[in-house]
Amino acid sequence: MKKSISQIKKSLQDKSISVNELYQEYFSIAKKNSHNSFNFVVNENYNDHNIQLSQSRYDSGKPLPLDGIPLGIKDLFCTKGIRTTASSKILSNFIPQYESFVTQQLINDGSLFIGKNNCDEFAMGSSNETSYFGPVINPRKSKNAPNDNFVPGGSSGGSAASVAEGACVASIGTDTGGSIRQPASLCGLVGLKPTFGSCSRWGIIAFASSLDQAGPITNCVEDAAYILNSINKHDFNDSTSSNHQRDDYVTNLHTKFDQSIKIGIPKDYLKDLNSDVIQQIEKTKKVLSKHNIEFVDVEFTTTDYALSTYYIIAPAEASSNLARYDGIRYGLREDGKNLDEIYLNTRTSGFGEEVTRRILIGTYVLSAGYYDAYYRKAQKVRRLIKNDFQRIFQDVDFILTPTTPNEAFKIGDKLDPISMYMNDVFTVPTSLAGLPGISLPSGLSSNGLPLGIQIIGNYFQEKNLLKLALLAEKELAFNE
Amino acid sequence: MSNNWEMVIGLEVHAQLKTNSKLFSSTPNQFGSEPNENVNFIDSGMPGMLPVLNFGCIEKAIKTGFALNFTINKHSVFERKNYFYPDLPQGYQISQFEYPILSEGYIDIDQNNKEKKRIRIERAHLEQDAGKSIHDIDPKFSFIDLNRVGTPLLEIVSYPDLSSADDVVNYMSSLRQILMYIDVCDGNMQEGSLRADVNLSVRRPGEDLGTRCEIKNLNSFKFIRQAIEFESQRQIQIIESGGKIEQNTMLFDTSTGETRAMRSKEFSHDYRYFPDPDLLPITLSQEQIDIIKPTLGELPNQKLDRYINEFKLDKDISKIIISEKENTIIFEKLVSESDVNPKTIASWLVGDIFAYIKENQKEVSFLENKTQNIIELLQLISEDVISNKVGKDILPKVIEGTKSPKDLVKEMGLEQVSDTHELEQIIDNALEGEEENINKFKSGSDRVLGYFVGKCLKATKGKGNPKMINKILLEKLSK
Amino acid sequence: MSDIDIKRISNLAKLNLPKEKETFYENSLKDIIQWVDNLKKIDTDIIEPLHNVTETTVSIRTDKVEKYNSVEDVLINAPDRAQNFFKVPKVVE
Repeated sequence: MKKSISQIKKSLQDKSISVNELYQEYFSIAKKNSHNSFNFVVNENYNDHNIQLSQSRYDSGKPLPLDGIPLGIKDLFCTKGIRTTASSKILSNFIPQYESFVTQQLINDGSLFIGKNNCDEFAMGSSNETSYFGPVINPRKSKNAPNDNFVPGGSSGGSAASVAEGACVASIGTDTGGSIRQPASLCGLVGLKPTFGSCSRWGIIAFASSLDQAGPITNCVEDAAYILNSINKHDFNDSTSSNHQRDDYVTNLHTKFDQSIKIGIPKDYLKDLNSDVIQQIEKTKKVLSKHNIEFVDVEFTTTDYALSTYYIIAPAEASSNLARYDGIRYGLREDGKNLDEIYLNTRTSGFGEEVTRRILIGTYVLSAGYYDAYYRKAQKVRRLIKNDFQRIFQDVDFILTPTTPNEAFKIGDKLDPISMYMNDVFTVPTSLAGLPGISLPSGLSSNGLPLGIQIIGNYFQEKNLLKLALLAEKELAFNE
Repeated sequence: MSNNWEMVIGLEVHAQLKTNSKLFSSTPNQFGSEPNENVNFIDSGMPGMLPVLNFGCIEKAIKTGFALNFTINKHSVFERKNYFYPDLPQGYQISQFEYPILSEGYIDIDQNNKEKKRIRIERAHLEQDAGKSIHDIDPKFSFIDLNRVGTPLLEIVSYPDLSSADDVVNYMSSLRQILMYIDVCDGNMQEGSLRADVNLSVRRPGEDLGTRCEIKNLNSFKFIRQAIEFESQRQIQIIESGGKIEQNTMLFDTSTGETRAMRSKEFSHDYRYFPDPDLLPITLSQEQIDIIKPTLGELPNQKLDRYINEFKLDKDISKIIISEKENTIIFEKLVSESDVNPKTIASWLVGDIFAYIKENQKEVSFLENKTQNIIELLQLISEDVISNKVGKDILPKVIEGTKSPKDLVKEMGLEQVSDTHELEQIIDNALEGEEENINKFKSGSDRVLGYFVGKCLKATKGKGNPKMINKILLEKLSK
Repeated sequence: MSDIDIKRISNLAKLNLPKEKETFYENSLKDIIQWVDNLKKIDTDIIEPLHNVTETTVSIRTDKVEKYNSVEDVLINAPDRAQNFFKVPKVVE
């Protein structure tokens, strides 16, 4: 059993372990990087001073909320003075002179930075196979093919793998269409995508601005609550940051719900699914039903359109967000006789295949003559999807779905783009609507690979969402 | 225009807004700084950076809306205009496309003694300015300075209601004047605060609109005129020799006075506008709009009417004063601080005072704390304590010096000699031995009077009261 | 479904697709566009596009100057520079 943040803090507080001893436990795994889950691991002495400070805070009985907790950070967050690459050749030498808002909060709360996690290039992918720095290997193995390497999911595959392999207590990833939830599910971990606008996007390398959200990948639900406390803050410098009142997500996490809960299960999500996955839903229903929780069938009218909507909007925004990578002010520059050649050579050489593909899609759907039929149309359908959720939330408090339609596949297996995109079928609608969603491990496939369930809450309902997830986690009491 | 051709011209004017900081970032909005000194991570398009709107720019836009008779749109949206250029770090410009902040305005321009012409303005929207590329330092390289990136611009797009270079210059200078008056733009065209793109086509009267060409980035009235002259002739020649006009974006070569097409791009621009997902739409309340109106102040044409009707000033003099807002500030200050006739004040201001300013290379605003002195001087003249001429002579000292005019006059003994008795003596002296000239005067030569007045003034070392001298002389000569 | 002018699109995006890959990407694009074309089936005539998930913002600045970085911070990652300018091959208009 992996140690939780509260367990760690307790043992640091009661001195059963020192900050440095704890750090070395994780660091020794991190530096091996045996699953390629890091693009960069800090050197031996990087955290010496921080460890000292952390220890003295524990000694004086005044630790910060995440004091001494080793964390991985997806290589999409700009970390001051530390190479930040978005796992792309085009940024392979980029060193930001500023710290992202989210990682600054984690620093302020005393966490120990262990390294930049590998991810799909510019967060585009569902298997962490598009990274310039090579694929990430899922630390979880299949029963039937124990020597095969499986994907950890994506795009925050490195984040999930680093937590699963024990290289860090938790990792902060980003989720645009499922990039936290899906890898969490495939690696047997908890992954939370907060409501859009909860966590600041300032300093996060942008993929799709109206969809990107930072969030934790952790070993347990309570850890996600701890991390959320740290990073879920309003940021004036992000115009899409929500100014709503935030909660403390850890307090009362374990107390019972004081009212009855209704959970909807979308019929349309479950059709044509393999039995292993359906089993997860059945199992969850069973263990939660005894807790004054009612399950009802619900049905979306827009499920068939969500992936199309996403794969128009996200590439469109990405094609514009990635225009700044031109070899002029930072990053890779390839030679050219003239300026145009520099642009062409740099961008062609600097971007991988999936990124190139998505930029092309995005450029197409925004271009003259196609904007109305594709981009504008997709934005309209997006509103329908949002309305669809709102209709369903009139009757239920939460929605329960599988996180992914299948278990992890072998590295190199899924070759064609559209099949890859179908991995996101359960996570994309939530992203489009901007709702919060959490994935937690619910069991194993018949191959022994992790499977997860997703719980979706209404806007800014993270506190109740985490409570319910914790209850499910307890009840599923999954022991491997 | 010659040979029965008409010009159809529309103008896109880019005005840099006079704010402290930029449109979406808090760096200084300032001209002339060291390269890349006013640039932060947002301006330079660093990964992960996000825009935050400067409300001061909205306020300037609303002000402009009132001044140019626009509809001020409560709902407007920022969109990305996507293209690649080294002075555009984000690879897109944040602008407004489908929902601009201002729609359907107009101004009325003068037309050389004809009645005013209304130029309708289709829209005005907010957008970021780009950086600067310096191409002429090195034969092989260009150098990029991003200081100007993100400077707020208001792009003002007219309908093609302009028909001549005169129209265009009148329109643009009226626009410039109004924007300077309401403190929205500093109007400094050399520094690029105000630039125009001219869209021009030609046609024979009654025919359909011709194909237009766009001449970009004209930053002086002189160049605007030259460019229009050249381009219209170019188009006419092509059509007259049987050719067709190609729609082109042109640059104006200031050294040759010619327009030429920009290097043709292989594919025409497709800016792929879409609403910027990093920003929310602007939603203005009626309150937010209304609160701006009182801050407008009097507009140039309103001042013109008031000067003519209330102060009874001459139209031409009025126009000179209103040509720059700081002139009106000084003028109105002088008027309000004294009861000297505004007409007198105006003629002194426009004449000797402005001449002094020009000769001494000062700004009109330099006069702001000198108004008391100037008023005292004008009062001394109107009370006949000193003559007009003496007033003109000591004007520089009055403006520059620390002494009051009263003190100066006393010290330098410049009081007019108005004592009748004294003057009579001087005049009698002057007339002595001048029988020939006296006879000339009596036989009708007025010039002789001037000669005598001059002689008397000389005898009084310029201090004789000319009006009185004139009067007494006439009396004596008529005897 | 409309034709895809891969040359035009890649040029707009400043991507120089190698000849061998041009067809590959063109087909890829065709497949995906065909796949997303199912949106045509849904009626959205009276629906307003959803551009922002966040409904209100307080991120409106007053017109005040704030500088927090040096010139060097901005230029330090430049692939090519000359003093405090970014340097590029000569641009001819």
